[in-house]
Amino acid sequence: MTHPITLRVNGVPYPLGVDAHATLLNVIRDQVALTGSKEGCDDSECGACMMLIDGQPVNSCSYLAVQADDTEVTTVEGLAPDDKLAPLQEAFLVEGAVQCGFCTPGMLISATCLLRDNPHPATDEVRIALSGNLCRCTGYDGIVRAVLDVAASRSADPRSIARPAVSRHER
Amino acid sequence: MTGYIRANTVEEAVAALAAGARPIAGGTDLVVGARQGKQSLPDALVGIHRIPGLGAITETDAGIDLGTLVSHAAIVSHPAIRERYTALADASVLVGSHATRAQGTLGGNVMHASPAMDTGAPLLCLGGTATFATPSGDRTTDLVDLWTGPGETTAGPDELLVAVHLPASAQATGSAYVRLQYRRHMEIAVVGAAAAVILDGGAVTRAAIAITALAPVIRRVESAEQALTGTSGGAPAVEAAAQAAADAARPIDDVRASATYRRAMAAVVTRRAVQAAIARARGEEIPIPATESTQGSWR
Amino acid sequence: MTMAPERTPFIRSDGKEKVTGAGRYTADLNLTGQLHAKFRYADHPHARILSIDTAAARALPGVFAVLTWEDVPDVLYGGSVNDRRLFAKEKVRWEGDIVAAVAARTADLAAEAAGLIDVRYEVLPPLTDFAANAEADAQLVHEAWADYEADENLGLSGNILGHSSIVKGDADAAMAGADVVVKSRYVADASQGAPIEPRAIVADWQGDKVTVWSSTQVPFAARSGIAHTLNIPESQVRIIVPLLGGGFGSKCDFHFEAHVAALARATRRPVKLVFSRREEFLAPDHRREGMIIELETGASRDGRLVARRGRLILDKGAYCGEGGFFAQMAAMHACGPYQIDAVNVDSYLNYSNQQPSGSIRAPTAPQACWALEQHMDELAAALEMDPAELRRRTLIGEGDEGPAGQVFEEIGAKQTLEAALDMIGYGRELPEDEAIGVACGWWPSFGVPSGAYVKLNRDGTGTIVTGAMESGTGAVMGLPLLAAEALGMKAEDFSILYQDTDAGPWDMGSSGSQTTFNNGRAVVEAATEVREKLLDLAADDLEVSRDDLVLADGTLSVKGSPDSSVTIATLAGSGEPILGKGSGDVPEAPAVDASGCVGRLGLESFLAPQLITQAARVKLDRDTGVIRVLEVAAAHDSGVIVNRIGADGQVYGGVLMGIGQALSEATWFDDEGRQLNPGLLDYKLQTASDAPEINIRWVEIDTPNAGPNGGKGVGEPPSVPTPGAIGNAIAKLVGRPIDRLPMTPERVWEAIHGGPEE
Repeated sequence: MTHPITLRVNGVPYPLGVDAHATLLNVIRDQVALTGSKEGCDDSECGACMMLIDGQPVNSCSYLAVQADDTEVTTVEGLAPDDKLAPLQEAFLVEGAVQCGFCTPGMLISATCLLRDNPHPATDEVRIALSGNLCRCTGYDGIVRAVLDVAASRSADPRSIARPAVSRHER
Repeated sequence: MTGYIRANTVEEAVAALAAGARPIAGGTDLVVGARQGKQSLPDALVGIHRIPGLGAITETDAGIDLGTLVSHAAIVSHPAIRERYTALADASVLVGSHATRAQGTLGGNVMHASPAMDTGAPLLCLGGTATFATPSGDRTTDLVDLWTGPGETTAGPDELLVAVHLPASAQATGSAYVRLQYRRHMEIAVVGAAAAVILDGGAVTRAAIAITALAPVIRRVESAEQALTGTSGGAPAVEAAAQAAADAARPIDDVRASATYRRAMAAVVTRRAVQAAIARARGEEIPIPATESTQGSWR
Repeated sequence: MTMAPERTPFIRSDGKEKVTGAGRYTADLNLTGQLHAKFRYADHPHARILSIDTAAARALPGVFAVLTWEDVPDVLYGGSVNDRRLFAKEKVRWEGDIVAAVAARTADLAAEAAGLIDVRYEVLPPLTDFAANAEADAQLVHEAWADYEADENLGLSGNILGHSSIVKGDADAAMAGADVVVKSRYVADASQGAPIEPRAIVADWQGDKVTVWSSTQVPFAARSGIAHTLNIPESQVRIIVPLLGGGFGSKCDFHFEAHVAALARATRRPVKLVFSRREEFLAPDHRREGMIIELETGASRDGRLVARRGRLILDKGAYCGEGGFFAQMAAMHACGPYQIDAVNVDSYLNYSNQQPSGSIRAPTAPQACWALEQHMDELAAALEMDPAELRRRTLIGEGDEGPAGQVFEEIGAKQTLEAALDMIGYGRELPEDEAIGVACGWWPSFGVPSGAYVKLNRDGTGTIVTGAMESGTGAVMGLPLLAAEALGMKAEDFSILYQDTDAGPWDMGSSGSQTTFNNGRAVVEAATEVREKLLDLAADDLEVSRDDLVLADGTLSVKGSPDSSVTIATLAGSGEPILGKGSGDVPEAPAVDASGCVGRLGLESFLAPQLITQAARVKLDRDTGVIRVLEVAAAHDSGVIVNRIGADGQVYGGVLMGIGQALSEATWFDDEGRQLNPGLLDYKLQTASDAPEINIRWVEIDTPNAGPNGGKGVGEPPSVPTPGAIGNAIAKLVGRPIDRLPMTPERVWEAIHGGPEE
């Protein structure tokens, strides 16, 4: 049995029919056909699938697509909508925060969320915020440096995701 | 029914439960559990995450009401919880990553009834009660009467947890939750303990102590509480309480730890939780999470 | 000796696709008509197969093929020993042995069908005690071992797959004459590479030729493996590696490509296999080996190492794969980068009914080094000497003799020690719950053939065509730096065509820290050929002698008259093909007289060894045994560094992987040989919040007989001494070394609170 839902993914509406048990990650990868978000563990341990739903981070491997009906979903592909890299993406490249790149999409989503909520984090706050995004290549050093660089160079990315006025549960 | 429906009201949700559906909100326990092969996803699901009003944290003279959809992130950032129900903030801040804390709800945590749930011991120590919407009206129960085993509760399949209530805390109350953790984050409780104390004139007039992941359910330890109550909260009393908690533990042996180590750690985390609770009751600053701020050489 | 300059900005050319999510990894590919594959794994870690009935699986609508050993050529394969079939035939030998493969319309359907296959077994006792398996009366993991095709130097005999010794002088006599003798025994548990990308494969046949997209570190090995096991010519196999989401060795070797290719051939459809995280733990015949390390060292009062005896036993698991060299490699690491008068180290590589071990980042070295370096600290204590001072007196230098007699050229071991001590502030006052530990290690460079083409495009840019493999380290991404230097161009002027076996020359792949070392030389040689052609063309064009030309900034100009010049773009735009090819001369390890050694596989001397000293400052929570690593100082001699940002990245990542191996990462098996923790909750990678401050210093020595510009390798060494450095810090706090790896909180706590003393 499929359920009709509409996801707005990176600003584009997608009317879809999804299975009740289909995860948001699989629907975004297979039906919306945006493969930037990765499956690394399938049980919320690695964060490679991290997206934003109405501005809030979610491990999309562990979230049902039907539940995301009528929400705004932001994936890594939505961080640079006009082909100009966001400052975080630039900083990741400059600081050597990218090696194999498999954790990078989730890491960027996670860091984007952090800087929106806490524009000037302390180093340890960055490390704690990114704890749910496992990286095997970089030792996190370049990643943490990149986030701190961006925090130091601006208050907030003007194109970053706006904080929702009320939380999802409240509306 | 099979498949998924989205409930817009509590009544719709209860009707769906009565028809055989299971509730889902953040999915951080239900979907993850299915992915790990613990149990497959229910055929029929009712999404409760959009029901208005269930995500509110409301302070009243009688205490504080936490809607079932309150997220761990909301708990962690709520000033009243950080100040007066600190053990709960100590626990929620340790749950998963910020994504899990944004999506995972208190209600899901409570109803998942895992013996390793971090919020369980703090809620017990803070005197939590749970309110269910049922086909025959609302029903309230002490949390201590709710959990009966791993994943098992006394709630009926047609009862929807709508809120958790914590009574108003007295002056000079302090509480803390401490767990053993191998990494700083992304851990599951291998051993945990919460404590809440009320001080009056330097004496502990009430103590609540509960242990996590040390028995099939999270439970209060009366012997530990008695060891502390009526004392000045000094080292011998704290140590006695910690030992009582360790004695009350029914630890298992598995890949995460041996029973011997778990029992020894029960004493350690209980001691730290009690010390932090007492320190907070005295107005000392013990930063959240107490798990980190009581580590190592801290006394 | 010089110190490397600060980081220069270098943006890897695959970076933009990785930060935008546009880059494609294997699991991101889908072909029209594609089916999905699932495996039926062994139901018991050790059992005789009595029958396999696939009828119910085949009858399931939507199932297109079910394959067993009967459906593929009866071929044995392996690295140094051909001991495995694609599908188990007579026996299953570990829980990940593949009994059957299914292709179906969906992955769920394929999984359902795999479950419907009826396999009958005679269950056999699991042979999980890899040390006991060497005993004469032990049951055999491979009854037909004597018939196997094997490298005869291994000494394959029953359950002992390999036996190597490193022997110099008369260690027994020297030990008897030592002032002080220290004995130690250490046990290291298995661990995993655990890349964040679980592996994926897509196979598609066009006529007689199969194209396989695979998340492998070694595409040419995958090509040979398919050709060998499916009995087809290599020329009919093309391997393409899309972006690779990390490997750390776990994606070395030929694994599952032939299974998927066989399914695609049987169904005449493209077939895709994607592993779950659980499968990524359970199914690859590849993990870091468990090891028992017994060491005995005799020293003179002044700290001279007069004798080393050792006995090592390694768990090979069920099959050989490419890890046949482990016994000898481990023996070299049980000697370490020290001047020792007499040596006798025996090392055994034993079969068991556990997951096969294979090369994970510096195979065998972190465990052996962890044991040796704690043993060295025990020796220092017995000598009443500071551990750093003992190393200062015994580390190898130019002209010293290695374990089997190799004589070293200029080498930076001692400089790395001083640099690490300096960085961490060795000897400073610390809180009572903190301590600093120091460990030294080494790792050889591997000289193997490698090739590259460099061609210039009509717009004056260049393209490097290489067989080398980019697993994420940046090694291939750094090749343009070498070509640009040779051609007076900019690195960003080069594109790279790579990871396609039909394009680049044969290459060993992303393994052995050897990409820059070998392929770098090939690229320099190819670029040099291009340079020669440019000089010829420009000399004609400008009517001057070649010797009068200067090549810089994309322009060839006449010395002394810069107005007389021609750009590379002009020459390349003329249509004249400007191509270069290179392979470079492969350096060989120094010859040694190793006649006293058995099991000689070529590692008794280390070519251009990379030297490392790391110092770790840790904090102990005495009540719980929880250790936090606060700071690591890493000093490396990897020769001259080509790409500083890339090299630093290897150290940051390698050190953190080493911390994981030291404290939190282990694959534990139950009594039957099944993994107890095949998931990322209980197999604990270090998180960002666990990662310490890591400081790096490069001791740059222009190393003779090495890679391009005097460089060595850098990928694997950073993990080698990290567990040892942490172990030595913990031992200072606890009062004795932790003899089990990883040094979990429970093990540390046991050591503090009266656990069983040895």
